[in-house]
Amino acid sequence: MNSTLVSRNVFLCAAAILIASCGTATFTKSGSDATIESLRSFHLAFIDEFAVPGKKFNATAFNAKVNEGNAKFQEAIANDKFTARRPVFVDLKAQFDADAAHIKSKASRGKVTPALASEMKKDVNKTYDHALGR
Amino acid sequence: MPSGGKKKRKKPSRKKSDIDSALDQIGDESVAAATAEFQDLVSEAKGDTTELIRQNAEEVERRLDLLKKREIDKEDFDHFLENQKRDLRVFIDAQPAQAQERAEKLTLHILETAAKVAIALI
Repeated sequence: MNSTLVSRNVFLCAAAILIASCGTATFTKSGSDATIESLRSFHLAFIDEFAVPGKKFNATAFNAKVNEGNAKFQEAIANDKFTARRPVFVDLKAQFDADAAHIKSKASRGKVTPALASEMKKDVNKTYDHALGR
Repeated sequence: MPSGGKKKRKKPSRKKSDIDSALDQIGDESVAAATAEFQDLVSEAKGDTTELIRQNAEEVERRLDLLKKREIDKEDFDHFLENQKRDLRVFIDAQPAQAQERAEKLTLHILETAAKVAIALI
């Protein structure tokens, strides 16, 4: 009788721990998803601000925004609780770095076209969708 | 699974796009060979069951068309190729070992061939 009671309690404890850990994992992943969406918004806004045909390139504003982006990505990499996502954040930062370098090169020479900005945003959305497993 | 043997593969029929017509005009022999290979691969990729493989083929074809129309330049085109490659490596690594070779042929190899074709279009 006693052993049955102990077994039942052990089983209930194990079930409670499992349910609680699943809940934590889900919560952690949804927090990580929100971070990815926030980085996507920043990345798209960055393209909208600097990949504009005919707009005079403002190096000071550009560098400030790149620094802001670097800080956001570094923070996401360092703080994400869903550790399986860390390499994904590293990949997203690599995409941001490549886009920033390309925009700088093109915008500083006045060679941004509407198609460039539009295709860049398509790539950004695709990359972030894949990061979210869509 | 594709057979390793040559060739007699029946290509999925499709309407010729603007970019196909432009590619057909290319005279230089080595570029013409790359172009023929590119058209074959794109045709095969567009008939694949995997959405990402189809999308990748459509995307590179669309960008070659933008390059031809001078809506983007070669630097932009190369930048987008690198983006596509970065994105595809994760996909290929996630494929079962026996499917990796085919996935690589219909994705990364298309991009490499597209880079050769792009030179002829500018």
